[in-house]
Amino acid sequence: MSTIAPARLVLAATGIRKQFPGVVALDDVSLRLRSGEIQALVGENGAGKSTLIKILTGVYQPDAGAVVIDGAPVRFGSARDALKAGISVVHQEHNLIPQFTVAENILLERIPTRLPQFVDYGAIHREARPWMSKVGLGMRSSKPVSELSAAQMQLVEIAKALSLEARILLLDEPTASITPHETGYLFRVLRELRAQGVAVVFVSHKLEEVFELADRVTVLRDGRNTALDYEIKGLTQDQMVTFMIGRSDVLAQLPGRPVHGEPVLEVRDLATEAGARGIRFTLHRGEILGLYGLVGAGRTELARAIIGELKVTGGEVIVRGRAAHIRDLRDALVRHRIGYVSENRKEEGLILLHSVLTNLSITIWRRLRLFGQWIRRSSEKAAVMPLVQQLDIRAHSLGQQVGTLSGGNQQKVSLGKWLAADVEVLIIDEPTIGIDIKTKSALHELIWNLAGGGKAIIVISSDMPEMVRLTDRILIMRNHRLVGEIANNHDYEEVSAAIMSRLS
Amino acid sequence: MIATRTAAVRTRLTELRGTGLLRTLGLLALLIVTSSFWIFFSAFAMGFTSDFNLFFLLRSAAIAVTIGFAQMVVLSIGDMNLSVGAIGGATGMFAGWLMQVLGVPPALAVLLALALGTTLGFGNAALVVWTHLNSFIVTLATASLITGGMLILTQARPFSTLPDSFIAIAQVELFGMPVAPLVLITLAVAVLLGLVYRSTSLGREMLATGANRRAARMSGLSVGRVVLVAHGLSGLLAALAGAMSVAANNTASPGIGSDWVLSSFVAPAIGGTLLSGGLVSVSGTVLGGLLVATISSGLLLMNVSNFWLSVFLGAVLLLAVGLDRITRTVGGAAS
Amino acid sequence: MVATARRMSPVALGLLIVDLMGALLLTVITPSFTSTYNLFITGRDFSILLLVALAQMIVLAIGQMNLSIGAIGGLVAIVESGLMVNAGTPVVIALGFGLLLGTACGVANGLLIHWTKVNSFILTLGTSYVYAGINLGITHATPFYHIPDVVSAFGQARTGAFPHVAIVTIVLTIALAVFLRQAVLGRQLLAVGGNAVAAALSGLPVRRVIVTAHGISGFFGAVAGTLLMAQLGEGQPTIGVTWILPSFAGPIIGGAVLSGGSAPLLGTVFAMVLVSLISDGLILVNANPYWVQFLVGALILAGVLLGRIRAVGLRDVFRLKSTVPGVAEQK
Repeated sequence: MSTIAPARLVLAATGIRKQFPGVVALDDVSLRLRSGEIQALVGENGAGKSTLIKILTGVYQPDAGAVVIDGAPVRFGSARDALKAGISVVHQEHNLIPQFTVAENILLERIPTRLPQFVDYGAIHREARPWMSKVGLGMRSSKPVSELSAAQMQLVEIAKALSLEARILLLDEPTASITPHETGYLFRVLRELRAQGVAVVFVSHKLEEVFELADRVTVLRDGRNTALDYEIKGLTQDQMVTFMIGRSDVLAQLPGRPVHGEPVLEVRDLATEAGARGIRFTLHRGEILGLYGLVGAGRTELARAIIGELKVTGGEVIVRGRAAHIRDLRDALVRHRIGYVSENRKEEGLILLHSVLTNLSITIWRRLRLFGQWIRRSSEKAAVMPLVQQLDIRAHSLGQQVGTLSGGNQQKVSLGKWLAADVEVLIIDEPTIGIDIKTKSALHELIWNLAGGGKAIIVISSDMPEMVRLTDRILIMRNHRLVGEIANNHDYEEVSAAIMSRLS
Repeated sequence: MIATRTAAVRTRLTELRGTGLLRTLGLLALLIVTSSFWIFFSAFAMGFTSDFNLFFLLRSAAIAVTIGFAQMVVLSIGDMNLSVGAIGGATGMFAGWLMQVLGVPPALAVLLALALGTTLGFGNAALVVWTHLNSFIVTLATASLITGGMLILTQARPFSTLPDSFIAIAQVELFGMPVAPLVLITLAVAVLLGLVYRSTSLGREMLATGANRRAARMSGLSVGRVVLVAHGLSGLLAALAGAMSVAANNTASPGIGSDWVLSSFVAPAIGGTLLSGGLVSVSGTVLGGLLVATISSGLLLMNVSNFWLSVFLGAVLLLAVGLDRITRTVGGAAS
Repeated sequence: MVATARRMSPVALGLLIVDLMGALLLTVITPSFTSTYNLFITGRDFSILLLVALAQMIVLAIGQMNLSIGAIGGLVAIVESGLMVNAGTPVVIALGFGLLLGTACGVANGLLIHWTKVNSFILTLGTSYVYAGINLGITHATPFYHIPDVVSAFGQARTGAFPHVAIVTIVLTIALAVFLRQAVLGRQLLAVGGNAVAAALSGLPVRRVIVTAHGISGFFGAVAGTLLMAQLGEGQPTIGVTWILPSFAGPIIGGAVLSGGSAPLLGTVFAMVLVSLISDGLILVNANPYWVQFLVGALILAGVLLGRIRAVGLRDVFRLKSTVPGVAEQK
């Protein structure tokens, strides 16, 4: 054990603001990092963590605020600048060259040379090995990175960062794709680095990990600090949850709604190729069923298995009393009248290049056809206009490109196409991700009213206030299994406590 | 301040693009360029406006446009088809063989050739859909298979005694005007394609698939079927262009189609079809084909070596994609 | 020897075995295959086409394409022969200028792609017509006959069955192998092809890499054009027009992927040996020469299909569902 230098402030970001079209991602956010400390950066999806990381690593430039390193203000023009200032980041997607060896990846930016411009492989392996052993990588340094596990790749990236003399190491959800055993190993490595004076930022959703590893914590919610640089020791899990999720006092309670009708969708002992086992629930007409869980719990995968986009390996899906073998989304839509609003609206939900009109009517083209193929524009518009009003979609015209709408309006279009098709079951994955609070409230009311009109709705969300406000019943999912069900009485304290007790 | 202004202008441009105005402006510019060439050549190229020249110009424009369409329909789904020329050549030879050797009536022969072209297109689609191979590689290989197969079967011998009633589509003047019947065929195809992309479910599905294959699938479209239809349609149009070339050359020769790769991309690219998929312009492709035919005809009349035309076409293509790139960066919030 | 075989990629090894079996087959069924003259002719054609394939391989390595290799080869051959025949330029200067011109054409491709960000397929398709047009504009499709004897003699020279043009190919192939394996720029080139985002974040010189790859491609195309001119004994304007297919056949059959990151040099060599064996065999058995085109097309399809099967397994190759990468792949 080397001597521990007294913690010294190495980085201070203050008053950071970052705005994207239609949404303020970060508003007056601060972060303080000290050498030899592990700072956890915590928050739910869309809280602004990744935006903050991108600002610290020079990918984005802040609209306001200052970043100070070792007492001197810095302004990063590119990722390269941040790297030079000693900030390295280990991303969820790996930034390695898969065809190259471990050693070459570690030293990629300053390959040792013999003669001018010729690679000295002997030196590469010699120089890489100390960094490998520093993070406990025991394999041959000549192993190609493509043959490594996700956890090993992460360690290679850490080794690479260390070789670049990174003093600040940011890890973006490092435990998302690795096993608990590997997580334990990673933590040992990170503690070792802390002992050597590196300032580590650890981004995670998983509170138990934060409590286990971090010294201090900064929490973001809706693009603001709810906790800045708190010492972990003095905090309880409950307090942390409150920081992360807060009270939904901004959003008023929704009015009453008629009770549910008959079962529309039943899932019995479903098993999927993604790893879900024994999933069992029933969804009724007019009901909003919440599916809560942290990222990686397998909620999206479950939804995709139901709509036929992932393989079902066991159990049954029953739609309106009949066993359904749904082949793909088209089948789900046409035969079973099930719709799915993707959490990834830019890549899966919408065709950004095309108009509001075509994005809304895409699900009903086959129904609008006359003489086999013909679509009359007037009947298409007539089918879509009521939705534009009902959803309050703000566009200059139906011809406006969807890519130019604000996030909230895009989400309304992404939802609206399923209403155009008049589906009976609607699975909505993260209904308000990246959307400001006012539109969020409007979308909640909309979903609420849809259920009032007789639709059966499943809402997948990591947003606790949203869950409590919007749903009638909450299924809790963890590690691809359902671990509990809660009847929602819309009492925030009570329900969130009940959920958290089943998650921890 | 300036930054906000630029941002505002950019937003405005994007909106214009969204409402199609920018694309209309692009078409207008293309129309102006084409007209300018017409005025220029009328003034400086002797015989440019003669009936004789106009007849050939319009005929070669019609064929160029049809070839462009064959590429445009696969570009619309975000694929490409390098076998357009191979299909055109092989089906042209097939039609020639049917008519000359088997004595099949021209109408039936052309129909069978179109059917063969469609089938070959389906073959491309099947390979693309089932194997997830890149359409570039698939159609590069099938182009070689198709041309090789055609040459093996025909021994590269042309068929040059074709029925007059067939040759007529490229050789007679309609209503005493310098217009061959095949020009009308191309116009009819253009109108049909315009309707397909504007007002049919299929056209919309192709564009949606081209703009975002994943979102198209996640909106309940059957992407595999769309890819199949687009490649089939491409094969059909390539075969049509092949038959037209045979009629225009008075001979089914094995060389037909060997130089179509560039021209198939030029007309759509100049006309504003996005090479990455999702946006097509039928009228733009028509104008693009016309522009190419105009320039080649005019340069020929002005005694500029025919060979420099190739340089010119290459440069026009580069310019067109360069401009396309610029408009997309200016109005590029969407992509 | 054994160690080399172990380090060889499965594709290259498979191709080598197929090559050996093919050569054995041709030896048995056609007596003339092993004749000195036949081996010389086959080896000479192979030497030139291998350079064409390597010219494509180096741009595929960065995830791009070059459709103008043939046009560059043709233009270079014409400029060189024109200089020597019509302008009486000394051989060394004419050839040097030609190779420089070819490299410059490649560099121009690279710079244009980097500046305009236009897809390399379309861009090099465009430049290929520009280069080919200049070629035809110079020659009006008439060859430059009677190039200097030194040059044409080199094209015909052989020691036993060994064609002297192969020396150039061997030297360049080894140089390329060393460049890709040993030179810093070569490693950076493969890094950019393997993961462009990571390479850019690591501060690798992306522009220099793109320009280098295309420059090498242009240079190899130029050498191939020069050698073909020497072999033909005249500056034919049609040199290079048929090169697109073989240029892709070599690297694609040899295991390259269009998305970049791999430069299967041995695979490309053995794939081109196979292509040469097929062409030669068909000629020897008096088959219709058009079978070559057909079989090379079939070979490309078979090669990519095999690659796909190796990647996802036979069962999933024809599985329609994964048309779109879904969450399953993010597990």
